[in-house]
Amino acid sequence: MISNILNYISGTVTIKVSGAMPEKFINLCMLEKINLLSITKKNDDFIVCMRLYDFFSLRPLVRKSRNRIQVVDYAGLPFLTKRIKRRKMLVVGGVIFLTLLNILMSYIWFVDIVGMNYITASQIKDVVYEQGLKPGVLKDTVSTKMIENQILLRIPEVAWVSVNFTGTRAVVEIVEKTMSKEPDKAPAHIIAAKDGIITNIIALAGQSTVKKGDTVKKGEILIKGVAYDGKEDVNNITPQLIRANGIVKARVWYEGYSETELVKTIHERTGRQETSVTLKVLQNEILLKKVALDPERQFEVEVFNKKLSWWRNSDIAVESIISIYHEVNSKTITLSIEDAREYGKAKALAEVQSLIPETAHILSRNIEVLQIPENNLARVKVNVETVEDIGLFMNIP
Amino acid sequence: MRKNTQWQRLAGVLEIPQDIVLDLPRITMLGNQQLLVENHKGIIEYTPSLVRIKLNQGELLVAGKNLMLGNLQIEQILVEGTVGEIKYDI
Repeated sequence: MISNILNYISGTVTIKVSGAMPEKFINLCMLEKINLLSITKKNDDFIVCMRLYDFFSLRPLVRKSRNRIQVVDYAGLPFLTKRIKRRKMLVVGGVIFLTLLNILMSYIWFVDIVGMNYITASQIKDVVYEQGLKPGVLKDTVSTKMIENQILLRIPEVAWVSVNFTGTRAVVEIVEKTMSKEPDKAPAHIIAAKDGIITNIIALAGQSTVKKGDTVKKGEILIKGVAYDGKEDVNNITPQLIRANGIVKARVWYEGYSETELVKTIHERTGRQETSVTLKVLQNEILLKKVALDPERQFEVEVFNKKLSWWRNSDIAVESIISIYHEVNSKTITLSIEDAREYGKAKALAEVQSLIPETAHILSRNIEVLQIPENNLARVKVNVETVEDIGLFMNIP
Repeated sequence: MRKNTQWQRLAGVLEIPQDIVLDLPRITMLGNQQLLVENHKGIIEYTPSLVRIKLNQGELLVAGKNLMLGNLQIEQILVEGTVGEIKYDI
């Protein structure tokens, strides 16, 4: 490893030694303490590798051994520097590139603001721009500490802010204060959210208008938002409106229904696909890559539109449309009547389940397979009975 | 020759490495892939299938396949390749 590095620094020369006795040349080299790195034989010639500084003391030895030498290859640092000296502009170009890169890197080109929920980006952008952090500004002139403080001062909704640079991008990260929601104190009734039979009603505020065992329709008032002062005769005074509160439990029925075909056709992608590319310039479409589709096969088409970033292409002048044609095989699947019923049950249950709120208590579940003879169809009906809170606030206008 | 054996005995008594005392070559092999000969007197012949190395007394024949000489110095020769056989010729 170290000797390899030393070889590279001092440079190596590979020479071809031809003559009657190349071995003699090698022995002479050894006597002169010339370090030979490797020797191979090619046809009748020796290919010898040695360091560059040894190469210069070779001439008398060559003459003495009556051989001829020829440089085949050279490698290493001295040759590289020589080449670089010949191509100065390359180095100059490299230096210019690096300095330019360095200069451009010391500016801010983008300002990103992240982390807002209800504060608008422009609100923060205004403050940030005003404090001198905007695209095209030198990084060193921007005091992140001051900008952070200014944002905190000017926008009270901000709980925490950090401004930092990642490359040429300034990222303003914001955490908003979570304001506690004001409880709604407007007078309200409690109405039924669903049809059902009341099983339990507790009015905490307001007057209940239904009692246990009543059937209610969706939208019916369950607890009236009026204050009850204990007197029987409340008709002649205008009732004071309050926000009703209470628990209304009711039995609610859900119904789900599903049909499952016994014979079904599904399309399956075979994995084979063809791609066509269209270039759209202004309003003209240029087909770059055509596809030859087999008319006997079925295909599914997926279309991607690729546009350039907005800053390159303000008015979407150029756009490429890539369509991928997936070959599909249609396959018919025949389910047995049992399988179809099972599948139908699962489907109907899933449909019902999505309607039932999580807090509901399920009383019974009734699955019924409809026995009407019908070709190619399995029909399943699901009835679910639950007890749940059906109360819903509705503000009194 | 008698002198040599005397030296050898002395070296044995004093536990001095014999290659130094007797000016013998030290041959180190790494499997059949590398052969390092120290204290040699130059090479006589080199072909990819045979390397003849001159020693203090006689010569060393290394036969094999794709033999290469690497790192030739005044005191050592490294033979690389597939060594088939080594013969000590006095």
